[in-house]
Amino acid sequence: MSDTLGLIVGAILVNNFVLSRFLGICPFLGVSRRLETALGMSGAVLFVMTLAALVTSAINRCFLVWLHLEFMQTIVFILVIAGLVQVVEVVLQRFSPPLYRALGIYLPLITTNCAVLGVALLAVKNDYGVGKTTVFGAASALGFGLALVLFSSIRERLDLARPPVCMRGTALALVTAGLLALAFMGFSGLGA
Amino acid sequence: MNAQVLQAVWAVVLLTGTGTVLGLVVGIVVKLFGAEIDPRIEEIEGLLPGANCGGCGFAGCVAFAEALAHGKAEPTACPSNSAAAVERICALLGVAAGTRNPKVAVVLCGGDNAKARQAALYNGVVDCKDAMLVAGGAKGCRFGCLGLGTCARACPFAAIEITAAGIARVHREFCTGCGKCVAACPRNLIRLVPADAPVHVLCSSPEKGAAKRGVCEVACIGCRKCVKASGEDHITMNGFLAVVNYDNPPTAEVAAVCPTGCLVATTPPAETETADPAREMVHA
Amino acid sequence: MPEQVRFRGGVHPDDGKSLSQAAAIQDAPLLETYTVPLLQHIGAPPKLVVAKGGKVLRGQRLAEPSGFVSAAVHAPTSGTVKEVTEVALPTGRTGPAVVLQADGEDKADEGLAPLTDWAEAEPQVLKQRIVDAGIVGMGGAAFPTAVKLSPPATKPISVLILNGVECEPCLTADHRLMLEQPEAVLTGARILARVLGVRTVRIGIEANKPDAIALLTEKARGTGIEVSGLRVRYPQGAEKQLIHALTGRKVPAGGLPMDVGVVVQNVGTAVAVAEAVTLGKTLYERVTTITGRPVVRPGNWRLRVGTPYAKALELAGGVSFDPAKIISGGPMMGFAVYSLDIPVMKSTSGILLLAREDVTQFTGEACIRCGRCVDACPMALMPGTLSVQIENERFDLAETWHALDCIECGCCAYACPAHRPLVQHLRRAKQEVMARRRAAENKSKR
Repeated sequence: MSDTLGLIVGAILVNNFVLSRFLGICPFLGVSRRLETALGMSGAVLFVMTLAALVTSAINRCFLVWLHLEFMQTIVFILVIAGLVQVVEVVLQRFSPPLYRALGIYLPLITTNCAVLGVALLAVKNDYGVGKTTVFGAASALGFGLALVLFSSIRERLDLARPPVCMRGTALALVTAGLLALAFMGFSGLGA
Repeated sequence: MNAQVLQAVWAVVLLTGTGTVLGLVVGIVVKLFGAEIDPRIEEIEGLLPGANCGGCGFAGCVAFAEALAHGKAEPTACPSNSAAAVERICALLGVAAGTRNPKVAVVLCGGDNAKARQAALYNGVVDCKDAMLVAGGAKGCRFGCLGLGTCARACPFAAIEITAAGIARVHREFCTGCGKCVAACPRNLIRLVPADAPVHVLCSSPEKGAAKRGVCEVACIGCRKCVKASGEDHITMNGFLAVVNYDNPPTAEVAAVCPTGCLVATTPPAETETADPAREMVHA
Repeated sequence: MPEQVRFRGGVHPDDGKSLSQAAAIQDAPLLETYTVPLLQHIGAPPKLVVAKGGKVLRGQRLAEPSGFVSAAVHAPTSGTVKEVTEVALPTGRTGPAVVLQADGEDKADEGLAPLTDWAEAEPQVLKQRIVDAGIVGMGGAAFPTAVKLSPPATKPISVLILNGVECEPCLTADHRLMLEQPEAVLTGARILARVLGVRTVRIGIEANKPDAIALLTEKARGTGIEVSGLRVRYPQGAEKQLIHALTGRKVPAGGLPMDVGVVVQNVGTAVAVAEAVTLGKTLYERVTTITGRPVVRPGNWRLRVGTPYAKALELAGGVSFDPAKIISGGPMMGFAVYSLDIPVMKSTSGILLLAREDVTQFTGEACIRCGRCVDACPMALMPGTLSVQIENERFDLAETWHALDCIECGCCAYACPAHRPLVQHLRRAKQEVMARRRAAENKSKR
């Protein structure tokens, strides 16, 4: 039990995918302008990451290891993730067109989001079971969402500020992301 | 058969299998939840200016593109689009292009700081709407342009400049007639007029001639000279203020009869091209 | 002095009252013409009942209320209606006004008989008298008094508070009124209490007016009216802060004093009510402080409504040097005006002239996030944050940060070391938020 708790705390805070492992930076910078889109993106990633972790772990256990096809991991995992992203896209387009429009290109880009592939590959590397991988995937997605929501809230405040011209936009966003990452370093040593 | 070939075969089978299963899942989801998306929407969107000015009456260019695709709007409703782009949208939708009279905004006040009196020194927030809250604005004329740039900031095309003399001027070559400035001006001085209108009465004050003259050199004093010169059909009197009938405008020559210089002929665009540096300044 | 509940925030500016607080109220001599604006209150403009060329007597009705939230306007002297025209008002707007040519006789209208037996009169009769006399809040907001005295049955009123705080610097009109007409203040209080049917009446006076506190305490002995000296802190006289200090009750955000069972009236309003009931006098004059260092003889005058500012200033001996700024009202909440061709209204509590040294011309700079405005705000808002939102035209955010709760007291701008125009921003935001709400309402109706 404490093992699982450690895994969750570790994935959310200590080894936060965005702020500690620096994976999934693309949507982190791309859709963090507004809190609503950040929340939408977090939801989409939570869905894709959890299911991807579950399915890839199952495929890995049942087929790849059995057939000695471990070298096929990356391509099979990407295939699974791509399929899941398609599902999210179709559903979002139907049920929340404004969010779909706001996420724009970043929604299909979850396919190549290194954080999602990272969850699948790290789980394999750490030899997690199917259940543990699913928990790991969900917790990592929550960590990603936490970073995204924090960052988008800060950026909404930054929108009101008038920094020097050279710092406007992405420059200030990257500095902020760096500071946020420094802050998350404070969690190292916590949990597992 | 050696092991390597067998492994290759399994790899192919595995990928094909996974792909087929996922394809089925996606297919089912699309069948269940799929929304009918008109591919033309994106194409139309590409042909719109993308300024989201709202001049068409819809909440931005995407909403307008959707309305167009569903036949709920006319391609000419976008005031900012070029004629060529409108034509292409019409071709895409298979509708006949309507004619559109391009409009531009004009600030109906000519009283800059050199010609109009300031009643007081205003030292507050640099915005016309804020200035209006302090004793109704510090300009001598209660109807004149305050020159603090609320319209210029509202313009999505950077077509309005606050001149060095402290008055808002529209650069017609950049104005698309979206009407954002019309809504922004707290003194309601900006009007959309046909782009080819030859003359404008640059005064909006309904006060008596003498009162206006006291605060502004270039006010319309209601002398009716322009009405007599052009005829009632072209310029009408609204109380003490001459108003150009933009549906049936007078010729540009009539501007010469105005004793105060309030009736001005539209400057040909060729001359205003020198205004580019100012536009750059606004953009910076 | 008993321990008072302290309201949060506030500032302590130099009160500048020494210029005029010793000057007894003087009656202004009759003028030749008066320009009486019709809309002198918050609410619907009243309906004109006289025509051009018509003869009127002093105190006769010129316009009648056009609705519940509206107030009558009366003639300041006897004479002829010269014209009805559009004039500039102290608020910066223009509005219709009756130009009255005085006949010099100043004959009084006998339309309203004194109600000598008011202590037995029906509350409804007394309230009707307040409507007939055109009485509005004299503290500055000019809200029709009768409306405040008509709370819905669901909101029982238990306390009447008379506001004699006069926390606004430089103004001394209420102070003089309490010293010179204490009986009228107390009579007004008792009439108002009778209309409301309340037993608890309290008068709040800031501690920097010990003579007024002593006099009213002395006169009020045996009447059950309690006079309290209050901490000297601006804005002690703001309605919600005063209620908090005197009763410990807190008016909820967006609420009215009646939500906590309190009605607050200015002492000037109480005197007007007393005169309307006991003398049958309508509201056509008020006490106004004319002060400021450029003024030759700063003091307090009983000015008739419609007196041009320029004439009022002549009474005070004119100016000894050119003022840099003219303010209608006090320095914290008053409105800057640029012309003296505007008439005194029922709400004109003061005419303040500022010398060049008193006026600071600062350019607002970036917020340094020191938080002094937050400490100073008596409504517990965050003016600095709000002002940045407003600068970016994010009125949607300003609304969620409670811009509408701002009472425009000006403490934030006073406290700001970066000289940011905080209260000016908030004024704009309140206007925009109200406009947005109205637009949304209209949309939902359609």
